[in-house]
Amino acid sequence: MKKFVLIVASLVLVFSTFVTVVGQGYTKEPADAKIITLGVAGTAYASLHPGVRGGTFYASSISGPKKWNDVTAHETSTTMCTGMMLRGLTTLNPITLAIEPELAKSWDVSKDGLTITFHLRQGIKWSDGQPFTADDVIFTYNDLYLNKDVKTDTRDVLQLPDKSFPVVTKVDDYTVKVTTAVVFRPILASLAANILPKHALAQDVHKLNPKVPAGNFNTTWGLSTPPSELVGMGPYIVSSYTPDQNIVMVRNPYYYHYDSNGTQLPYFDKYVILIVASQDVSLLKFQNGELDALGIRATDVPILMPQAARKHYNVLVKPDVPNYGTTWVGINQDIGLKEGTHTDLRALFRNLAFRKAIAYSIDKQTIIKNLFNGLGVPQWSPVSYLSPFFAGRDSYGGPVTEKDAVIFPYDLKKAASLLDSIGIVDTNGDGWRDYKDGKTVEITLTTNSGNTLREGECLIISNDLRKIGLKVTFTPVAFNTLVNQLFSSTGEMILLGLTGGPEPNNGANVYRSSGGLHFWHYSGKTDPTEVEKQVDQLLKEGVSTLDNNKAFAIYKKYQLLLASQDLGLVYLVNGSFTYAYYDKVGNAGVSSPVSTPSANGGITDICYFK
Amino acid sequence: MKLSGLRALVVVACAVALLSVLGLGYTVSNLETIASNELIPEISAAAGMALASSYASTMTAAALEDMAVNGRTIGLRTAASGALAILYRTKTEDELTAIITGTADPMIRAAAINSMVIYLVSTKSDKKDFKLTDYLKGLATTGKTHEMRLAAAEAYYFANRGKLKAADLEAQAAKSDSDELAYAAGETLAGFYLSFDAKTQAQLEDLAINGKTKGMRVAGSIALASLLIKSDKTANDFETTLLSIAGTKTAAYRNAYKIALAERFGS
Repeated sequence: MKKFVLIVASLVLVFSTFVTVVGQGYTKEPADAKIITLGVAGTAYASLHPGVRGGTFYASSISGPKKWNDVTAHETSTTMCTGMMLRGLTTLNPITLAIEPELAKSWDVSKDGLTITFHLRQGIKWSDGQPFTADDVIFTYNDLYLNKDVKTDTRDVLQLPDKSFPVVTKVDDYTVKVTTAVVFRPILASLAANILPKHALAQDVHKLNPKVPAGNFNTTWGLSTPPSELVGMGPYIVSSYTPDQNIVMVRNPYYYHYDSNGTQLPYFDKYVILIVASQDVSLLKFQNGELDALGIRATDVPILMPQAARKHYNVLVKPDVPNYGTTWVGINQDIGLKEGTHTDLRALFRNLAFRKAIAYSIDKQTIIKNLFNGLGVPQWSPVSYLSPFFAGRDSYGGPVTEKDAVIFPYDLKKAASLLDSIGIVDTNGDGWRDYKDGKTVEITLTTNSGNTLREGECLIISNDLRKIGLKVTFTPVAFNTLVNQLFSSTGEMILLGLTGGPEPNNGANVYRSSGGLHFWHYSGKTDPTEVEKQVDQLLKEGVSTLDNNKAFAIYKKYQLLLASQDLGLVYLVNGSFTYAYYDKVGNAGVSSPVSTPSANGGITDICYFK
Repeated sequence: MKLSGLRALVVVACAVALLSVLGLGYTVSNLETIASNELIPEISAAAGMALASSYASTMTAAALEDMAVNGRTIGLRTAASGALAILYRTKTEDELTAIITGTADPMIRAAAINSMVIYLVSTKSDKKDFKLTDYLKGLATTGKTHEMRLAAAEAYYFANRGKLKAADLEAQAAKSDSDELAYAAGETLAGFYLSFDAKTQAQLEDLAINGKTKGMRVAGSIALASLLIKSDKTANDFETTLLSIAGTKTAAYRNAYKIALAERFGS
């Protein structure tokens, strides 16, 4: 399960540089090792090649992690590291996108679909050499994800339609039973949530160790934790972290993935993430050979092409493959609620006509043409274009026809007329629209500084809004400031992005009125709007059927409702998949929106240096 | 004295680099032989380009700086300059600025360009109304040295890349506020000729030879080099072409073959 996380990063607060102590590794391949069938005909990996071990791979991140605690993390700057360190019971195959066994080697589902018995891999170990057992799974679910003392978005995606949660019980050391009170279609996807080591963390959980204060786990595995104390089951573990400079990860000697030749994965000895505060600088560093691969933007393609052949790198451009995830302008309907300020602005933001006016003011085609070099599609739904549940399809997994798409075509006249209709007009002739009391409507539009694409989008949007008399000021701010604004409901209009995936329920932490990332209307948790109530209901219904076709129909309603009647998030544009990597990185050509060598997702550990 | 010191270092370079270059069919020793022969400057320089990474790992900055200035041929000077560009990646902004605007030989100043671009793109200022692109454009026109102006020009087009299309770049490559801006516009334009506004090899060859301005010829040349590298032509083919066009056509056209040959040599 990949819960939606904000594509954000933050400034590093605490300095820590330590060296990790790791075990020696397996003496022989564990019987229950997971075999990645590279080059084996008839498998998902047939077109790939077994590699050789060695070398240091260099990737970059716009910011360092905020913590090492995957359970409480919201942001990709953290999860890109923790995702390397940890694994779940299940996972998405990076090539086929099918759910497949991960820490579980298999499972049985009861006839009524309410009980799943997971058979865990035996003989595999944590990075410190301790055995992995059912106790780790029980600990992770019962004492972390389902423990209300722990702040985690994962609980949102584990919640069942009847508001109960899966019951996770131990059968024996290598068997775990998961029971749900009602049918929960995405249960296998939700159980991809990372498993944490009980032996390393139990003492930090108040429920298990009353000597530590309530909520203690929320600050466990913070940046001040020496990396030597971090333990994982993933391909890499953190070796050192130097704030604002780099994160060095080393191969987990007990990783249980092996290739078809019997070589233990991952292939790289080290995986270094350089912290580069600007995407532009990352691009130049890639061109300079300082990074081995890089997620790029459409505007980077012409810059990279002239040297691609000479410097032996590839520029992957897939115009027909939009990236997963969403970008949007969030309109904060709770602005000033806690503080008792911004009464007029809050009322305006809560008016659907206003939010529609914003939607009509967004010139997606110009954004695509000018900022994406034509490589993008307009976005209107919270569900990713590539998902089989995307409402632009006519049926589950069918072709995208966009027949039912809720499009707000760029129409400034219509936007102006909507503002007129709610009494937001220029009363004093100064060119700016005013509230009914004559005070000018002033709005700040924010995004994270350094992201030139988002800054460009903000400029286009604010320019158009000013054309219709809305006094919008674009102010880029640092990531951590933006994140604070988001979680404290103090930002007015924010342009940002969310990760995405095939399963719509993984967005429950965002779109459910009580979701941990329902940041444009946190007060919906206690006082939901009628539309939010319907959205909550549809989210329930979508997971209550095992029939994907029925689920598709439900999620279609959900998407149409959010896009036409909620508009808490006004969607922008989804860029096509573009990626750059050096020829020397074997297996990198299989990169897709789901997985790339420079971002966690399954192919990181099968890439190698030729 | 300089020569003997240099020779000793080159021997070390051979021993280490043999391992890495042999696989491509060219040893450091082969390449040094080619780089040392300046009969066809482009062939000599291509070998120098291919030697750069080897020299960067085996020679000191001081030795390379000496070689960049006093190397006997353009090939050896190119090798040293290219190697210095690799070593200069760890220099601070102040150190690079001192090199690129100083009185060092142009081959040394040129080595600072790539890394300088990274700093320039990241320039921040507390000045009210500071606009990065304006600053870079100004520096590309008034910078103290050609190399500084070129770094600023490259940074300018990099920072502006989302806003400029092929037509804009064509106009700027044809006529710009400085030679460096025109040149950098041509470099950026080449990317469009290889992607969104793709041109055929024949069109690029024509542009590299008959382009009306240096900027347009650069665009043709750089894009042409990419197509040549992707072709099935061998180093021998490229050498033959360079021999046949020696001193003719345009520098931009010959440069495309030089870059392609350097790639075949293992740069």
